[in-house]
Amino acid sequence: MKQIQMTQNPSFSLISTKKIIQMNDVWTSYDSKNFALEGINLSIDRGTNYAIVGQSGSGKSTLLKLLNGMMIPSKGTIKVDYIRPNMNNKKFKKMMHTIGYIPQSLGLIKNITVIENILIGALPRLGKIQSFFKKFPENEIQEAKKILKMVGLSEKENRKTYMLSGGEKRRVAIARALMQKPTILLADEIVSELDHVTAREIMDLIADAQKRMNLTAIMVHHDMQLALEYANRVAVISKGEKILEIGVEGDNIVDFQTGDMTTDEIKEMYSDDSKK
Amino acid sequence: MTPKNNIIIGIIVALLVITSYNVDANPIEFAEGVPNLGIIIQEIFVLESLIEDLKYLPTAFGAMIETLQMAFIGTVVGVVIALPLSMLAARNLNNKFVYAPIRALLATIRTFPSILWAILFVIMVGLGPFAGVLAIIMYTVGFVTKLQYESIETIDSDPMDAVSSIGVSKFQLIRYVVIPEAASHLLGQMLYMFDYNVRQTSILGIVGAGGIGFFVIQYIRFFEYGKAAMFMVVILITVLVIDWVSVKIRDKYIVKSQHGMEVVKK
Repeated sequence: MKQIQMTQNPSFSLISTKKIIQMNDVWTSYDSKNFALEGINLSIDRGTNYAIVGQSGSGKSTLLKLLNGMMIPSKGTIKVDYIRPNMNNKKFKKMMHTIGYIPQSLGLIKNITVIENILIGALPRLGKIQSFFKKFPENEIQEAKKILKMVGLSEKENRKTYMLSGGEKRRVAIARALMQKPTILLADEIVSELDHVTAREIMDLIADAQKRMNLTAIMVHHDMQLALEYANRVAVISKGEKILEIGVEGDNIVDFQTGDMTTDEIKEMYSDDSKK
Repeated sequence: MTPKNNIIIGIIVALLVITSYNVDANPIEFAEGVPNLGIIIQEIFVLESLIEDLKYLPTAFGAMIETLQMAFIGTVVGVVIALPLSMLAARNLNNKFVYAPIRALLATIRTFPSILWAILFVIMVGLGPFAGVLAIIMYTVGFVTKLQYESIETIDSDPMDAVSSIGVSKFQLIRYVVIPEAASHLLGQMLYMFDYNVRQTSILGIVGAGGIGFFVIQYIRFFEYGKAAMFMVVILITVLVIDWVSVKIRDKYIVKSQHGMEVVKK
């Protein structure tokens, strides 16, 4: 486990690339009465491994759905690569092709094979007739096989998805997202319910892909320790509000938004005992 | 028993008595009629006529094969028509301006039992099995579309959301998510429908729409209960065989895909 030292008032910028996500005073609700998110401000640099940590019902998943256009904010503005996320916006619809989204349930189709699930990531690049006959070009099939090898599932490409273990299913979901040739990867509690070892294997896999493909990974976590190990930045959300944002570089933690609690208190509060 | 329950039971009993009176459902008449059943059974089991009736067995099997063919065509064509209709009738895939008129049309189709469709088609295309096939198609379309759009509406929304978030077209969403997810139900529905259609087709002959029912009704009209009984036994055996085959197919292909598990081979 890393020994993390706290430094206040950062004198350096962690990653200096242009902003890919900008959220400005974002409010949203499911029932127009109770807000799931309240006044969220977020700014994420391209190529960052960003973690959002919070307890159940804090609004973490809602935040991801706002970023991929599945939900629209009640108030405030969101820009994903300078475009407002909205499924009815043609420009954003095109951008969705390169936003990999892995929901908590993974969203795999259980009755088809592993490689068929992965090839779904290539659907936006497929013509209408090819789509109808499920005829993927050879280069896409080779790409899918390459990604399968990367996630360590080469031998199971023709296995039906329902026959896989929990860890393997997560690898398939990651592979499907990578097949999109994404610029942004959104993952919702992808390692929750996994044992300690498998959880780290999956996180290593994403970290590796993120570096290799220069992705911006935005991952929702339950476990603060895991977030601190893998992310460049961590935002803590509680009851729909961002209460803390910290940068992580090596052993240093840089406080970008000081909250009422110290980092140790936050770590203690959000640690997942089941994984230890 | 609460007083409320007593009132409900009282109302049900009262309604039963009133409606029975209205439709002349008299248990005494039923009891008086039981000896007539004895006469029919006696006529069926006259040994000489039984041996005589066995000569008609090839005719019975021939008629049953015609019935099976009619049910098969009706089921397959009906399902092929029902599939695109069910995609249009599913509420989670369309807005109400699309699904509402389709559902109204389907409700109209389902209102008529297959025997009424058969009468209509006998008038349209004349006596014979073709009218029966058309009737079975109509009935299958009405029924399978309803079963299918209900299956589609119960598909897990997570794969739909995950694939939608890639920005795929609606057609791709149907082709790659909806059809594979609903397919496990479709095979079961086809088997159920074929099973049901065999029974339905067996009675369509009553209105001259082909199949084994034509013989059954003719023999009953001429009081040849022995022959009618033999033809009905052929129907019974066929239905039992179909039922057995359905169970085998279900175990092999459907149960495991719906529950995401392997079926243990005994």
